[in-house]
Amino acid sequence: MRPRLVFGIAGIIVFTTLVMINFSQSINSYVDFEQAAEMTGDRIHVVGIWDNSEPAFFSSETMQFTFYMKDESGNSRRVTYPNPKPNNFEQADQIVVIGEMRGDTFVSSDMLVKCPSKYNDTTNPEFTELD
Amino acid sequence: MIGILGHVTLSLAFVSAILATWFYYRAAQFGAEKNESIANAFFYVKGALTLFASGLLVYLIFTHQFQFYYVYNYTSSDLQNIYLWAAFYSGQEGSLLLWILSSFLVGLAIIKWTSPTYRTPVMVFMGMTQVFLLSMVSGFPMPWDGNLGASPFRTLASEMPNAPVFLQNPDFVPSEGSGLNDLLRSPWIIIHPPVIFLGFAMMTVPYAFALASLWKRKYHEWIHVALPWTLGANLCLLTAIFLGGYWAYVTLSFGGYWAWDPVENASLVPWIFGMAGIHAMLIQKKHASSHKASIIFAILAYVTIVYQTFLTRSGILGESSVHSFVDLGLYNQLLIFMLVVAVIGVAFLIYRYRELPEPKKESPVLSREFMMFSGSMVLFLVGFVIILGTSSPILGRLFVDNPTPPDQQFYNNWSLPFGVLIGLMTVVTQYLWWKRHDLESLSAALIKPTLAASVVTVLLVILIDMRNLAYMVYLFAALFALVGNGMVMYGLLKKNPRRAGGTLTHIGFAVLMIGFLGSAFDRPMVDSQTRDYNRAVAAGQVYDDDGFPENQPVKFVELERGKPKLIDGRYMVTFLSAEITENKRPGEQEYEILFEEVESDRSFVMHPTVYPMLSNSSPGAVEWTVDPAVRSGWNADIFMYVAGSSLVEREIERMNREDPGQFQSIDQLGPQMADHDPDITEIRIKRNGTAQIGEYIISFRNFIYVDEDELPDNSIIGVKADLLLEHRETGESWEVHPEYILTRDGDSQYAFNPPKNLEFTDGSIRFKDVHPDTDEIGLAIRGIDGEPEQEWILLAAEHKPMISVVWLGTFLLMIGFSVAIIFRWSDQKKREKQKIGDRELAGNGQSEELTVQVIKEDDAKPA
Repeated sequence: MRPRLVFGIAGIIVFTTLVMINFSQSINSYVDFEQAAEMTGDRIHVVGIWDNSEPAFFSSETMQFTFYMKDESGNSRRVTYPNPKPNNFEQADQIVVIGEMRGDTFVSSDMLVKCPSKYNDTTNPEFTELD
Repeated sequence: MIGILGHVTLSLAFVSAILATWFYYRAAQFGAEKNESIANAFFYVKGALTLFASGLLVYLIFTHQFQFYYVYNYTSSDLQNIYLWAAFYSGQEGSLLLWILSSFLVGLAIIKWTSPTYRTPVMVFMGMTQVFLLSMVSGFPMPWDGNLGASPFRTLASEMPNAPVFLQNPDFVPSEGSGLNDLLRSPWIIIHPPVIFLGFAMMTVPYAFALASLWKRKYHEWIHVALPWTLGANLCLLTAIFLGGYWAYVTLSFGGYWAWDPVENASLVPWIFGMAGIHAMLIQKKHASSHKASIIFAILAYVTIVYQTFLTRSGILGESSVHSFVDLGLYNQLLIFMLVVAVIGVAFLIYRYRELPEPKKESPVLSREFMMFSGSMVLFLVGFVIILGTSSPILGRLFVDNPTPPDQQFYNNWSLPFGVLIGLMTVVTQYLWWKRHDLESLSAALIKPTLAASVVTVLLVILIDMRNLAYMVYLFAALFALVGNGMVMYGLLKKNPRRAGGTLTHIGFAVLMIGFLGSAFDRPMVDSQTRDYNRAVAAGQVYDDDGFPENQPVKFVELERGKPKLIDGRYMVTFLSAEITENKRPGEQEYEILFEEVESDRSFVMHPTVYPMLSNSSPGAVEWTVDPAVRSGWNADIFMYVAGSSLVEREIERMNREDPGQFQSIDQLGPQMADHDPDITEIRIKRNGTAQIGEYIISFRNFIYVDEDELPDNSIIGVKADLLLEHRETGESWEVHPEYILTRDGDSQYAFNPPKNLEFTDGSIRFKDVHPDTDEIGLAIRGIDGEPEQEWILLAAEHKPMISVVWLGTFLLMIGFSVAIIFRWSDQKKREKQKIGDRELAGNGQSEELTVQVIKEDDAKPA
C-alpha cells in the first residue's frame, strides 16, 4: 500500500467519524413536555398544538409571547417565546417549539408554525358555494 | 375536452421519450444512421408534444378553468398576467414540465453540437432521464392501477371524487381558484425557477457524457465537451441560488439569504459536486490523470440532483423544510428514478473500473494535479456533510427516534474550517497551476500574500474588536485567498485575459468568504436600554420571576407614532405613519419609518409593509405576513420589518367582527377588502339585540315605518331603525333613526339610505340593508370606533454587515464562470476543427504521425 493512500483512507475514516458524531449530537428527537422536563440542553423540540382554552398574549413589558401548548401526549404547558405572536399562529395545525423546560414553563427560543394550507396543498378545500 | 387532449399529449410524449431512448440505444449499440434519425425524430416529437401540452396548460390557466386541479390550486381570476405565466411552473407538476422543456433544449444543443462519437450514447441517457420526468406528469393510463404520475390536466372531481359537492353535482366548477401563494407573487418567480431547472437539465450532460465514455470506452475526449456544459450548469445553479437567496432576503422575515433549508441545499450540493467535477476534468485535460474522479463526480453531481429532488418532492422531509413540496403520490417513481440513475452510474463504473486509465507514477504533493485533486476531495467532503444534514429524516434514525433536522450550527461549524482550507488551497493551487514550483520557490512566492493578509487581518481584528479565534483564522484565510488570487489575476490580465475565468472565480470565492463572515456580526438595532438588557442577558445576569436565567435577547423596539427613539446609538427613528395602501395586494399596509442619523444631517425613510395572506387564509382566520424593507449599503445593510402594530390588531378585530360567514370563499375577501374604507365598521344586529362598537353599545329596538306622505315620490316602502346608542362608561345615551327607503325608477328599484350624522361626535350611521329571514338589519358605522387610540408598532430592525460583499462575490463568480465557459467552448471548437484538419491531412498521407497521436488520445486501450 502506498503511504499516501493509507494516509488518505485514515483521514477519511477520522473525518467521517467526527462528522457522524457531530451529526448525531446536532439532531434531536421530537418529544413531549414530560420527556423534555427530564432532558438537558436548550434545543429540545416539542411538537403540539395551541391549547386555546387558555389565553395567548404578547406582553410588551416582558417582550414575550405567552401561550399554552398541548403536546402530542395531551400535556398542556405554558410556553414563552421571545418574539411577537407569529402572524399565522391561530390557524397552525402544528407547532414546534424549540427550547427547554423550566419548572412548568417551556422557554422557547424558536418556534416553527405549520399551517394547513401554507404551500397550496389544499387536498380538501371546502366549497361553501353549492350551485 | 382540453383536459383529455392534455392527457393524450403528455402520454404520447411519454411514449415518444421511451421510443427515442430505445432508438438512441440501438444507434449507439449497433450503429446505423437510420436508427439515429428515427431516434431524433421521436425526440423532436416528444419535445413538440411537451411544448404543446405546456401551451394547453397555460391556456387553461389564462382562461381560468377552475375545474382543473392545477388551475384551481395555483391561480385565481384576480391574478396579474405575469403571475398567471408563473403559475405554469408554480406547482409541482408544472415545474416538472419546465424541467422537461429545459432538458429538451439541452438535448437539441447536444444533437447539434456533439461529435458523432459520443452523440448517440449521450442521448440515450438524456432520453432516459426524460422518460422518468415525463412519467411523473404523463397521467399515462396504467392497466392495473389508475394513471401513472400526477398529470397537470387532472380535474378536481377526479382528485376528490368523494367530496360532497362532487357527489351532488359531478359537473361542479368552482367559481374561483384558491390563488397563488402570496409569497410567490413576486417578480423573482419569473426568473428563479427557469434558471434552476436549466441548471438541473445542463447537469444531466456531464452525467450522460461520463456514462457514454464508460460505455464506449473512450475515456479521454469526453471531458473537453462536458467541461463547458458542467461550467454552464454550475453557472445556472449559482445564478439560481443567488436569485433564491436574494428573494428570501428581501421578502421573508428571517432576515438572511441562506438558512440551510433542504431545498436550498438541493441546489447547493450538486453545485459543489459539479465544482469538484470541473477540477477533476481540468486535471485530466492537463495531466491525463484523474479519469476516475472526473467520471465519479460527473455521476455524483446528477445523482445528487435527483436525490435532493426525491427528498424535497416525496414528502419525506415533511416538517423539516419551510418549502418542501407536498407528496403527490410520486414517492415510488422518484425513488425508482433515483435508484436507476444511481445504479446505472455505479454499475457502469464498477464494470469498467479496472480498465480506466491510471497515472503511471504518483504526482508529487506540490504539483497542480495533486493539489487540485485534493481540492476536489475537500469539495466532495463539504457536499457530503451537507447531504448528511439534509438527510436527517432518514439518516437521523440511526441515532434517535423521530429525528429533528440538525441545528444550523451543524452546517456552520463544518463550513468554517472547510472554508479556511479551501481559501488556502485556492492560492497554492493557482500558483502551481500557472507555474511549476518546488517548496522553496513556492514559499518565496507566497511570502507577499501571507504578509499582506496578516497585516490586514491584524488591523481588522483590532478595528472591529474581534474576539473569536476561529473568525480570525477564517478572516486570514479569506484575505490570503483574496490577495493571492488577486496577484495571479494581475499577472494574467497583462498576459492572457481570456484564460482569467478560473482565477476570477477564486477571487469571487475569497470575496464571498469575507461576506459570509459579516453574518457573524449581525446585530439587532435596539434602543440603549434594550441593548444594556441584552448585554446583561448575554452575561447571564438576568433572571426571570422564577429564578431562571433569561437567555433570549430582545430584538425589537416598540415605537409610538411621532415619538422618536434613539436606536443603535446612531439613528433617531420615528414611526411616521401607517396606512392601508393596497399598493400591491388587497389589505396591504405600508408603514413609514424615518431614520435620522444623529451625527450628520443624513436621513431616510423606510417603507416596510404588512399584508394579509389571502391565498392562505380562511374567512374566519386571516393570516398576516410581513414584507421587509432593506436599505443596502456598501459595508452594511439595514433590514427591518414590522413585527406587530396597532393597525394590524385593529384590522384583525374588524375582520373578526364583520360576519365572516358572508364571504363565500377566501378570494371574495380580496375584492371586498379592496373597496373597504377602514374607517367604516359594518355590523349586523337583530331586533331587540345589542352590539358593542368602540366605546358604545348600540341597541336595535324596532323598525319605525315611515308614513307614505313623508316618503319621496316613487317610493315603495320606507322604514327607519330605532337605535339607541349608549356610552359604556358615562352611560349617556342618544336615539338615532337612520332610514332605508326603497324607490322605483322605471323598472329598477334602488335603496335610498343616506348615512345619518351623529350629533354627539363626528361620525355617522347608515342603515345598510334588511334581512327579513333572520330579523336582522345591517349597519355601516363610521367615526365611533372607540377613542383614537395610540398608534404603535413593534419594529424589528437589524444591522447586517457585508451583505453587499456577498452579492459582489457572487457576481465575480458568475463572471468568472462565464469567461471560463467562453474560453473552454471555443477551445473545444478549435480542437474539433483541428481534428478534422488532421484527418484531412492524414487522408492525403502527409501527416500520419499526427493522426496516430489523435487516435491515441481518442481511444482507450482495448479490454
